[in-house]
Amino acid sequence: MNTILEVNSVEKSYGNSQVINHCSFKVQQGEIYGLLGINGAGKTTLMKMILGLQKTDRGTIRVLDKERGEDWEYLANIGSMIEIPVFYEHLTAFEILSMHLALMGKKGNITETLVLVGLENVGKKSVSAYSLGMRQRLGIARAIIHSPKLLILDEPLNGLDPVAITEMREVMRKLTARGMSILLSSHMVGEIRHTADRIGILSGGYIKQEFSVAEQEAESDEKFEDYVINYMRRDGK
Amino acid sequence: MNLFKIEMMKIRKSSYLWAVLGIYISLQAMGILFLFLGGDTPEEGDLFTEWNGLSALTTALTIACYSVFSAVAGARMIVDEYCGKNAVMLFTYPVRRKKILNVKCMIIMCITTGAAFVSNTAVLGVMYITAEIFGIMPRSSEVFLILQVLLSGFLSGIISFAIGIISAAVGWIKRSVMAAVICSLLIVCVIPNFIASMPEHTVLSILAAGICSALAAGGMYRFLSKGIEKMEV
Repeated sequence: MNTILEVNSVEKSYGNSQVINHCSFKVQQGEIYGLLGINGAGKTTLMKMILGLQKTDRGTIRVLDKERGEDWEYLANIGSMIEIPVFYEHLTAFEILSMHLALMGKKGNITETLVLVGLENVGKKSVSAYSLGMRQRLGIARAIIHSPKLLILDEPLNGLDPVAITEMREVMRKLTARGMSILLSSHMVGEIRHTADRIGILSGGYIKQEFSVAEQEAESDEKFEDYVINYMRRDGK
Repeated sequence: MNLFKIEMMKIRKSSYLWAVLGIYISLQAMGILFLFLGGDTPEEGDLFTEWNGLSALTTALTIACYSVFSAVAGARMIVDEYCGKNAVMLFTYPVRRKKILNVKCMIIMCITTGAAFVSNTAVLGVMYITAEIFGIMPRSSEVFLILQVLLSGFLSGIISFAIGIISAAVGWIKRSVMAAVICSLLIVCVIPNFIASMPEHTVLSILAAGICSALAAGGMYRFLSKGIEKMEV
């Protein structure tokens, strides 16, 4: 298996507060890596550092075997949705996606992507008329339309109803079947369990524990959700 | 689709068009009013009885209006984009940040310079035709007048754009759209007054104001582009 993303001993602090501390992990091709952690654990900061939105104090980040530096070209191979997606309200989904493709310098099928995220009937409406769930879907459409090799999704299931969550899970599975790798953060432990292949618990600024759902279930008598919540609770104290 | 087209797509063009139309109508109304304010006998230094004075006054007002217009455009296209949530999206594209900023500035320049030039020329043109119809102004050299109108129209656009960039940079530093607009209002208190106070040297005063504001805008642009290139979101 090829390593798509390699985070190596990365550190980041804001003033005196060290948010990320010697953090290392890898995401392999075609896998969904779930990042779990309590609020303020540094999940978003870590994702922002991978995307070059934040600088690292120390350590290296390699995407597709190339070190992240001043060159922004590597971003063409990454799709992302960080925090709540924002759009130009007067534009339609079609316009937003075509603009995105042009900026990425890539080609993609807008209609097919809108069908994939369930927005095919509202593609020509302006985004100002979209609900929170529809915006979330459009954010995911924007992240995947240029067929990136790595997809970074920060709390992508926020605002989605249970049916949409199940559909999104299926979409993610389809994408990984095509060879896409996904780095996913969520506070919904149950969802991560159903979606991720491997899980890393971010605590104290680094990945304190890494395991697959199958491994954990085989090794522990506790239910997955209870195990993770108890682990994070113990760790938080 | 090139970067210019993409950035143009992001703008709500109708709001800018309405603003330009509103500014033009106000300036035209004031211009016509100024024509009828002057007395019958031209006096040296009187703004309302000579074309030089009227041109200086109209150009000063054009600069004042379009400087605020340009600052608002800069605040929306630069401050809003780089200080708001859009920055996260904007910085995840494999395009150099400076390149996108250049295109944004180019759009502000095209809109402001174009609108100020057309507006200033149209206002003075309509004023001249009105003066001819009513015979209320002394005749002057038409070639000189046309050249003066064209030059002051173009320079008023450049000055307005420069003030817009200075204001946008201040707004970016303060992370506030309001700071950008207030900054433009403060500058507007100085430059148009300077131009209107020298009616006998209209072209020279506009030229001097243009050079000073362009130099200041260049410095602020360098600071802005370096800051955006390094900024974290």
